[in-house]
Amino acid sequence: MLVGETMLEPFQLLFVQRALLELLLLAVLSGTLGCWIVLRGLAFPVHGAAAAAFPGLVLADGLGFAATLGGFGAALLFALAVGRLGAGGREAEGHGTLTALVLVAALATGILLASDVFHSAASVESLLFGSLLAIGPADVRLAAAVAAIALLGSWLLGTRWLATGFDRDAARSLGVRSALPDVALLVLVALAAVSVLSAVGALLATAVLVVPAATTRLLTDRIPTWQLATAALAAVEGTLGVWLAVELNAPPGATIAVVSGTAFAATAIAQAVAPRPRTST
Amino acid sequence: MTALVEASELAVGYGGPPVLTDVTFSVDPGERVAVLGPNGGGKTTLFRALLGELRPTAGTLAVQGRAASVPQTERSRLDFPVSALDVALMGTIPARAWWRRPRRADRAAARAALARVGLEDRAERGYGELSGGQRQRVLIARALVQDTRVLLLDEPFTGLDAPSAERLEALLAELAGEGRAILIATHDLEQARRWDRVLCLNGRQLAFGDPAAVLTPEVLGATYGAAIVTLPGEDAAGPHHAILPPHHHHHDHAPPR
Repeated sequence: MLVGETMLEPFQLLFVQRALLELLLLAVLSGTLGCWIVLRGLAFPVHGAAAAAFPGLVLADGLGFAATLGGFGAALLFALAVGRLGAGGREAEGHGTLTALVLVAALATGILLASDVFHSAASVESLLFGSLLAIGPADVRLAAAVAAIALLGSWLLGTRWLATGFDRDAARSLGVRSALPDVALLVLVALAAVSVLSAVGALLATAVLVVPAATTRLLTDRIPTWQLATAALAAVEGTLGVWLAVELNAPPGATIAVVSGTAFAATAIAQAVAPRPRTST
Repeated sequence: MTALVEASELAVGYGGPPVLTDVTFSVDPGERVAVLGPNGGGKTTLFRALLGELRPTAGTLAVQGRAASVPQTERSRLDFPVSALDVALMGTIPARAWWRRPRRADRAAARAALARVGLEDRAERGYGELSGGQRQRVLIARALVQDTRVLLLDEPFTGLDAPSAERLEALLAELAGEGRAILIATHDLEQARRWDRVLCLNGRQLAFGDPAAVLTPEVLGATYGAAIVTLPGEDAAGPHHAILPPHHHHHDHAPPR
């Protein structure tokens, strides 16, 4: 029991508890939205949206308005631009180059703004890699709100997101003609990108939003199972990551990214060595 | 008997000059219509007009209720985590307000449609795990769920082996027998010969009518350009024609350098 108590000791600290709560909320987001992100080929755009939020945060910090607003504005602008350009063709095809360009531009602008305009270089690291153990109640509230919106969006629009991704032309003939469901998905992507910034930062957003869903995708065949498994995995990875970070005195965002990356690699290797039997043959 | 589809002097386009003109035909309940024409000849444009996605730029087009389309299976994603039932359920989207989720009745309708195409025992299977013929039938089930009497099929026999093609042919006959109008884009003239009407398109309507009257070398020549040959051998149905894919044709007449 002594070992158990020692192991659980970090979780008695208030700031660790808050970090854990944040991660559990983000796990809900990861499970609901992460699966749609992977399914609709939006993983790289998510990375781009989070990076685009970075200069927005620096601007907000320097000019003294709400950081969330600055980050969300920039991420939304980016997400909608990607959506607009991708609307005509197949997703994941046209997005790559644009996303890469925005990624570089956003990071460069953010760094220049932070170091030469606002001289706020001290916080650049936390903007890029998060500061999970120093988050405030407002960050937790944001994560809770975005997780709730993602749940609602997935519940209401999931069948349309699925039909459009399955076959865009056929979806149109099925009456999914409005661009609204897809715009809603991109707005959610921007919201999600901003809501994970305080925890894992602009550069590690995909560790929470993409990697768990990509891992469980290797193991599941149906969307509800996939979403549940992803939320569970993200929760376990987050908890393990926080614990390791406290025990090893390592940066938590990076630790979580390493944990989830390792889980993905292990799963992928296991799949390659011993492929899972098809569920229904 | 009222026609389920009626087009008169129809012209359709994408904003610029119409890509399909002079289309006048009607389809009665129970009729299977082969839609022939080269790629880019206007088959897809006609289907999109029938689905209501394109408005006529001239003439009229009337469809009883709405049409449901069965796209080519290779357009859909095989890696998607969806079961046959999930795909059939997509057919319930048009009848449902956007904020509603599929209800028990929707699921029952999707299962019934899968049973109708002989796939009730595959409902829970992954779409990507099914054979090409089974996937085609799942997409037909998705169209049947929409409860429409007008079905549009885009080259449904492409890539099917002989037993699957026979099974699909029988299913189409049954569905027509229930009073549906079925338009089938195809390149297979032998099939077209067995159906009720043939519609030939190449930028405009070149012919419409009974297969025996339409499937003549003159009409086919006009429809497909010169890319058509008459094969030796003749049976009761008439001479055998074959369509050469356009790319076989280009290089033969390349100007000498």
